[in-house]
Amino acid sequence: MTKVGIYTLLRLWTLLFAADLGSTMHFGQPVLLYGGLATLAFGAIGLLTTLRLGRIASFSIIVSSGTLLAACGMGVASATSAALFYILSATLAVSALFLLVELIERIGHDGYVQPPSDDLPAGEDTNLDDEELPLVGRAFPVSIAMLGLAFLSCALLIAGLPPLSGFIGKFSLLAAVMAIAGGAGATGISAAAWMIFGLLLLSGLAATIALARAGIWQFWTMGARVAPRLRNAEAIAVLTLIFSCVLLTVYAEPVMRYTSATAAALHTPATYIESVLSKKARPGPTSGEASP
Amino acid sequence: MLADLFTCNGPSERLESTAMPLVVMLLLPFLGSVVTALLPTRARTALASCAGLVSVVAAGGAISLFPRIRDGGVIRETIAWVPSLGLDLSFRIDGFAWMFAVLVTVIGALVSLYARYYMSPEDPVARFYAFFLAFMGAMLGVVMSGNLIQLVVFWELTSLVSFLLIGYWHHRLDAQRGARMAWIVTGTGGLALLGGVIILGQIVGSYQLDAVLAAGARVRAHPLYSVGLVLILIGALTKSAQFPFHFWLPRAMAAPTPISAYLHSATMVKAGVFLLARLWPVLSGTEQWFWLVSGAGMTTLLLGAYIAMFQNDLKRVLAYSTISHLGLITLLFGLNSQLAAVAGVFHIMNHATFKASLFMAAGVVDHETGTRDIRRLNGLMRSMPRTGTLALVASGAMAGVPLLNGFLSKEMFFAETVFFTAHPSVELGLPVLATIAAIFAVVYSLRFGYDIFFGPPSTDLPRQPEEAPRWMRTPIALLVLSCLIVGVAPTRSIGPSLAAAARPVVGGTLPQYSLAVWHGFNLPFVMSLVAISAGFAGYLWLRRHQEQGRLQDPPLLAALNGRRLFEGALVRLTLWSRTGLRSLGARRLQTQMFTIVAIALLLALLASHDIPLEWGERERLPASPAFVFLWVIGATCAVGAAMMAKFHRVVAITLMGATGLVTCVTFVWFSAPDLALTQIVVEVVTTTLFLLGLRWLPMRIEQTSARVSSRDKARRVRDLLLAICGGGGSTRGWCQRILRRVRLLPRCSP
Repeated sequence: MTKVGIYTLLRLWTLLFAADLGSTMHFGQPVLLYGGLATLAFGAIGLLTTLRLGRIASFSIIVSSGTLLAACGMGVASATSAALFYILSATLAVSALFLLVELIERIGHDGYVQPPSDDLPAGEDTNLDDEELPLVGRAFPVSIAMLGLAFLSCALLIAGLPPLSGFIGKFSLLAAVMAIAGGAGATGISAAAWMIFGLLLLSGLAATIALARAGIWQFWTMGARVAPRLRNAEAIAVLTLIFSCVLLTVYAEPVMRYTSATAAALHTPATYIESVLSKKARPGPTSGEASP
Repeated sequence: MLADLFTCNGPSERLESTAMPLVVMLLLPFLGSVVTALLPTRARTALASCAGLVSVVAAGGAISLFPRIRDGGVIRETIAWVPSLGLDLSFRIDGFAWMFAVLVTVIGALVSLYARYYMSPEDPVARFYAFFLAFMGAMLGVVMSGNLIQLVVFWELTSLVSFLLIGYWHHRLDAQRGARMAWIVTGTGGLALLGGVIILGQIVGSYQLDAVLAAGARVRAHPLYSVGLVLILIGALTKSAQFPFHFWLPRAMAAPTPISAYLHSATMVKAGVFLLARLWPVLSGTEQWFWLVSGAGMTTLLLGAYIAMFQNDLKRVLAYSTISHLGLITLLFGLNSQLAAVAGVFHIMNHATFKASLFMAAGVVDHETGTRDIRRLNGLMRSMPRTGTLALVASGAMAGVPLLNGFLSKEMFFAETVFFTAHPSVELGLPVLATIAAIFAVVYSLRFGYDIFFGPPSTDLPRQPEEAPRWMRTPIALLVLSCLIVGVAPTRSIGPSLAAAARPVVGGTLPQYSLAVWHGFNLPFVMSLVAISAGFAGYLWLRRHQEQGRLQDPPLLAALNGRRLFEGALVRLTLWSRTGLRSLGARRLQTQMFTIVAIALLLALLASHDIPLEWGERERLPASPAFVFLWVIGATCAVGAAMMAKFHRVVAITLMGATGLVTCVTFVWFSAPDLALTQIVVEVVTTTLFLLGLRWLPMRIEQTSARVSSRDKARRVRDLLLAICGGGGSTRGWCQRILRRVRLLPRCSP
């Protein structure tokens, strides 16, 4: 849903205000660029305000929209290509996180109780903690361990941390932006590129902090001995989404080639215009074309 | 057995070379991690043997590479990943990476043996070993990376896995806090490093390490050098727990002791100095490098040693001494001298061996007595003579006592500070500060080694101390033995490896240096003597004061509590962002709608204010009274709907429907039946949806008083104005665009 706007933008903006149109070239570019930056900053600030996973997921959508808007606003094919890759990864990751939120919040509320492993008598070999009580780790039930791993993957994807596709997307964006910032060019664009560079890193940091806090709170402090009851279908849906991100990581090269070809096509709208206009218009249906 | 299985199935058979391919060496720990995660969670012996076997095989593979890298050779392997981004999996081992690979795997093998005996039988150790092996793999990935972005990938992995390892006992608050702090600090560093590496790649034109190493002069002359340097240094200094980022390391002591022994001797914190050394030929040699790196190193060296003297927890003494020794290594790399860099590489090895053995000894004491409090532990030599002897020798190496490996690298360090040429104040200050730090080191080494093993045996320990099992002592004994061998016969034992490791760091040709134990009675030796004797005196003085209950905390540093500052900053960040969000966002629909419409209007005006308004050229239809009447009804219905929306929802919906119908009729009037049909469908659907949604809306607000405050009136007027402007604006925009289009567009129908 949130990506529809970006789609329209990519489809029409480069088409209507193409680079070779003189005065209307890249019409509204500063609006896109700084609007994107503001959105990005807003999302990053929002991420830091909350421990609740649902809100974190929503704010990370804002962050990703802002990132995309700013990246498209650069008006450069390499940035657009990176943004296209980023869309894929971010969409999959956030959907997985949204599906996970409800499952994770089920921990400790509903399900079966694990036999308590804590009150085993301290043996001769057991370590003691500062209060001279036995210091024994808690084992995670399998379902919580699975949820934990899934959450960890989502967190890495959303924060753009290695090694999953979130990192590749973010890295390609950063590299494209840096090529503009470091290279010689219009100073206005260069300054904006530096701002995107910094904000991208900072928003990654905000996501890292937010997700680490939420994860610690959900998985470590709840003290939940109650493993949630998960249905297979729920688990499969989440795992499929995450697995497709893993595939996206492994096969990043072909996807990258596709996105950069797409971006190149978007930035040379002449091809598209010609292919549309050169076809003869098909005759419309004879009766009134009233159906919506 | 499992490990062998993997090596056989790996690509090794397809390659002709006798040595293990680097990819297999890297994948081995990760595969081992998956296998251990699937084994029964409390099967200590099986898990430890699996982990041990993986590390031994990887260590064997690493050691067998030595002949190929001894004379400056480089082994490279590349697998294409995302070549269009310049991001390939590229593995590269030279002498320096080889040294790290050997340290990581050998100490890893020793730690997995040690952890078998350290962890309680009730601990779920499958998770422990799975993360441990994953960490080993990540660390191998860092040192074997031939591509800087790939290095960042593994770098962040080490941060992530160390977070999970520090939080192993996750039900404890200190583990949660320590893990979170380590993750946030090193993760921030990792992001900065990513930024720095991308800048570096932009300067060089490639992320391949070989290309970057070859472009040193170009990098240092580039205008972006300073920005890139600062970002990369933030990455390296956070990882190596250098001032001002040092505070996470003592908190990471909440990890199980085998993990501390691994993370803080050969791996995690060494990744930072690894990076400094790796990029030394590229980035060093400038003023900025000298002041930033050696400044951070010197501060950390002194601060860490100073705080370490006052700690009462065995592991915290070691934590602060680790910080201090890492400061020493950082300082050596910051001095812009080839000899100092060689000394830095040498001290990396020495510190890894003696610090791992010391952490393990501390773990033995903790495990056998149930406490780590130096004030309670006394006279353990009687009950655990072997562990005591080993710990004593290792702390001697930490203090820099002659005939042990720590002495050699410390001598090299002293020599460097004495012969450093710079500003006179630096020339004088460096040796003095170095000696002071060495005195501190002797004091805390004595507190660790002497305090707990000598004196009258303590009686109130939680457990009756006894000697640890033999296999728990074996790893310590092996490490201490290597400290001794290197200390007594350095040239023959470590000489070739050090030469191979240091050569790539200094850029190919080694400077003249001597590894002899005895250099004659010169100034560095005098500094050592002063440090040891003053350290003894200082230790006795400090103990007398502490026995009288004074000097329990490091004086002068009460305000500089890194942990409190960090936690405070985190809380403040959250509060600020909450305030920021409240001032930026709105919870109420009314405000949101107002903002959206106002901004849209503003932007549209900005974009279209210079387009002239025209009426088009088509002939106009005459106004008919019936049509005007229709529109009056429609407009009345619309206004009525707006007025009733708050109080009579059903009425409002009905009125809205009527407005919609008028629109339909308008379409028909102007002979656009298709639009009219569409509009009807839309009207029906929205009205139905509204009716269905009615019951989900919040409770209706009854109008309590007829009087409306002037503020509300003002708001309503404001909203009305905005609505009029919005409607007018969109009409104007329509006129501008559509009428103009009609005139300008040529007829395109055939």
